[in-house]
Amino acid sequence: MNRVETETSAVVPSRMLPTRLRTLQALGIFCGFAAGAWLGGAEAPIKLVNPDISPITVSLIMVFGVFLARWSVPAFIRGTSQVHSDVLQAPHLVVWAVLAGCMWAVANTLTIYAIRNVGLSIAFPLWNTNSLLGIFWGFLLFNELHFAGWKRWLGVLGGAVCMFGGATLLAIASAHQAAPGKAAMGILAALGAGILWGTMYVPYRKAYLTGMNPLSFITFFSVGELVTMTLLAVGYRGATPLWHELVGARAVLFWLMLGGFVWVIGDLFQQYATKYVGISRGIPLSNTNQLWGLLWGLLVFHELRGGSQTVYAQVAGGSLLMAMGAVAIALSSATEREHSSWQDAADREGQRYGVENEYVRAGLEGREMQKGKITDKTAATPGTRSVLDWLLMLVTTFLFAVLAAMARLPHMEIALGWAAALVVTMLVLLATCGIALWRTTRFR
Amino acid sequence: MLAHAADRASRSLFRVIATDIHFWIPFAVLIGGFVLLDHLH
Repeated sequence: MNRVETETSAVVPSRMLPTRLRTLQALGIFCGFAAGAWLGGAEAPIKLVNPDISPITVSLIMVFGVFLARWSVPAFIRGTSQVHSDVLQAPHLVVWAVLAGCMWAVANTLTIYAIRNVGLSIAFPLWNTNSLLGIFWGFLLFNELHFAGWKRWLGVLGGAVCMFGGATLLAIASAHQAAPGKAAMGILAALGAGILWGTMYVPYRKAYLTGMNPLSFITFFSVGELVTMTLLAVGYRGATPLWHELVGARAVLFWLMLGGFVWVIGDLFQQYATKYVGISRGIPLSNTNQLWGLLWGLLVFHELRGGSQTVYAQVAGGSLLMAMGAVAIALSSATEREHSSWQDAADREGQRYGVENEYVRAGLEGREMQKGKITDKTAATPGTRSVLDWLLMLVTTFLFAVLAAMARLPHMEIALGWAAALVVTMLVLLATCGIALWRTTRFR
Repeated sequence: MLAHAADRASRSLFRVIATDIHFWIPFAVLIGGFVLLDHLH
């Protein structure tokens, strides 16, 4: 018998209220758009970094920032006692989270090779093919888009293809930025990152179908990230040269770690999107990050300046196609029938890994567990913070303050007004989406 | 007694993961990623 031996209660099918389902679907879609803004914004600080620093070192520093954010943000929002509770309920998900973290670290390193060799504008659409792969895995492994009807299939698949077409158009528009002779290497790296990221959503979906809180998942995810990146960096660069490079890069440590921190906020929204609308819809929506990356490039870093009218027409057409694709997907949320097939997949996971039915149900419905229906091991009080939580927040704040004091802005032309406008937009999205998540699910 | 039970649960957990095809798909992709990274490096 391939089942974990626990005192699991029998799985009793019970379906979610239609109004609750619609609310969660709308919330997931909102999270997908917010994720796009923050993930796109995370690429901006990397542009401030001297290209002489090795991609491996850049990735390692970013992962340090990611690690700090992935432990301090959950401590701030819900407290680490909730993480402990989740692990007791579904210990197998620690393995899945670490695996996903390893995948992220390798993919992120590949994207840095891709950006260096073919530029952000080409690399972005190539690795964003991950959404097509995500739809495939979602359908094949987790019953997504089952009983969805041809209109929703058309909306999701057509939307994803539309976004891919738009992304390709944007790539063609900025193709002149590719470094000669390095294009093949860059394209290979970007495609590799797309496959890794597209498949990384398998562990994500696995975790959220089983009821795990995204805030708990990402803490263990970050362990896989940090260990993999440290091993890669030490293996490829050597411990002493790596240390010298880190010391030499102290003026840009802040920007890279800030990029990692911003990325975590985007990823957190992406995790909630994945949880509430599935990977087939959540990933394409998060991939609107390319539009935000483009906005940062065009408005703040003056990319494509002096381009021909054709180039600008391609940029406008590509952006419009991507936006239309995202809207098509946003309008194709899951029906009750499709959602019930997600619940079947959730029941399968719960039975396989011996997870309590109430835990799985509460996770899917974005609510707290009913205490009478669960065992004592999940008895953590939501919202309580320990000394460890405050320590995590203080250490992270202190480290970022020290690095900010050492940081220097590079000598490059930056439109600070546009940068401020984009940052304010991101913050507004963070506040509104955060409030919506709190009101609807208490960050479950 | 408790330690023995925990050890048994842990072995059982890893057995369930190892027999889950969902695990091997991302794992194989991860190995491919390492190979590609090594090639690019």
